[in-house]
Amino acid sequence: MKESIPGWWSKGAVWLWAVAVGMVSASLWLVVARAPVESVMGPVQKIVYIHVPSAIAASIAFGLTFAAGIAYLATRQWQWDALGASSAEIGLMFATVVMVTGPLWARSAWNTWWTWEPRLTTFFILWILYAAYLIIRSSLRGGSRRTISAVMGIVFAILVPIVYMSVTWWRGSLHPRNVTMTGDMRFVLQFSILAWLCFYAAALACRFRLEWAAEAAAREGDQAFHEARLAGEASR
Amino acid sequence: MTALDVAAKDLKLLVRDARFLATLGLFSATLVLILSVAFGPVFRDPAREASATIWASLFFAGVLGLTRSLAMESETGGADAIRLTGADPYAVYLGKAFASFVLLAAVFVLLLPLTSVFFDVGDLSILPALAGVAVLALVGYAAWGTMFAALARGLPARELLLSVLLFPSLVPLWIGAVKLTHALWDTGSLESVRDWLKVMAVMDVLGLALAAWLFEAIQEAGE
Repeated sequence: MKESIPGWWSKGAVWLWAVAVGMVSASLWLVVARAPVESVMGPVQKIVYIHVPSAIAASIAFGLTFAAGIAYLATRQWQWDALGASSAEIGLMFATVVMVTGPLWARSAWNTWWTWEPRLTTFFILWILYAAYLIIRSSLRGGSRRTISAVMGIVFAILVPIVYMSVTWWRGSLHPRNVTMTGDMRFVLQFSILAWLCFYAAALACRFRLEWAAEAAAREGDQAFHEARLAGEASR
Repeated sequence: MTALDVAAKDLKLLVRDARFLATLGLFSATLVLILSVAFGPVFRDPAREASATIWASLFFAGVLGLTRSLAMESETGGADAIRLTGADPYAVYLGKAFASFVLLAAVFVLLLPLTSVFFDVGDLSILPALAGVAVLALVGYAAWGTMFAALARGLPARELLLSVLLFPSLVPLWIGAVKLTHALWDTGSLESVRDWLKVMAVMDVLGLALAAWLFEAIQEAGE
């Protein structure tokens, strides 16, 4: 198991960031310049180009935390725990974007900031659970921190398909699904999804690098402590 | 050590702790009282308000009950002793979940007449169906609650964290319980909300299945 961060990882992360920033900038330009203004809602409808990619990125992030949780419980390797925690943190950031952009859109579409309809309610619950994940993780230390995080990552991810299917399962859902779009709208949305997924990958690479550095520092600290203790015992 | 041994031990400890049981009973009754005052004095839809009241009160009372047995074990080293017997982790989980179910059922039995009287809802003919709904809801609550309580053991402010974790996870179960109870108190039949029985049964099975998979890891993390 390598403990120091290899150079190729850091260089790769820089390149990934460069691609992500370029693509996100291009997607924002496309949203402003190319995506047509929707006839009923007007410019507010353009929130969808941030809202939908953020929701997809959050779902993928929580899905990765789920998979990393299973891998950690099976192998007990710290890398899986670091990957799951990093992904959960970035997923929560995207989920927060969804929680902010959703009401902005709803105010214009439904004339209310918030309504207790299934997709909104289940997504809010998802947000609370992953916020609790980070609080609980930060209050634990050692091996239990990893195991408990893996368990939470697995259990909470069960809500992701429930959020997705809520508009189908519960009658009376107001949330749009299978929206008809013009060619330009569809292209801009697909490009935005790709751009924000790139952003997610770059953020994940960076966050994982931090976990890696923390792990290496902890191991070096342990080693230095043991060496100092041995030296102290030898001099006695 | 079998699941029944663990359940018997937990129940014996609970029965001995009469002060805790009395406080839990009083706390639950107070919750019903507060909510009935908040909704009243004239109820617009007594069946709806009563069903929300009984399940909300049971949830908060249940959080205290769920953390109690695990907290007692942490204080006395009982968890380590059970591990030393070589008992199967899932048997330990089932025993604890069963003891929690019995405790929650006792709280429900206390709250049911109180709610019925305060809100003037229900009659004896719907009691078997209501008992069925309560069993479905409480099995799920005990199954998920025992798993989460073990997970939150040793954490600072565990009661608060348990509420934060449990309530969102069990939303399908609570909505089902409230809708079914409301239907029974309102129309005397479950016909219009039959689908929620399936949702609740799925939540029960899911909780028990997840615990079968994950409880050993949770128990190990708590050492």
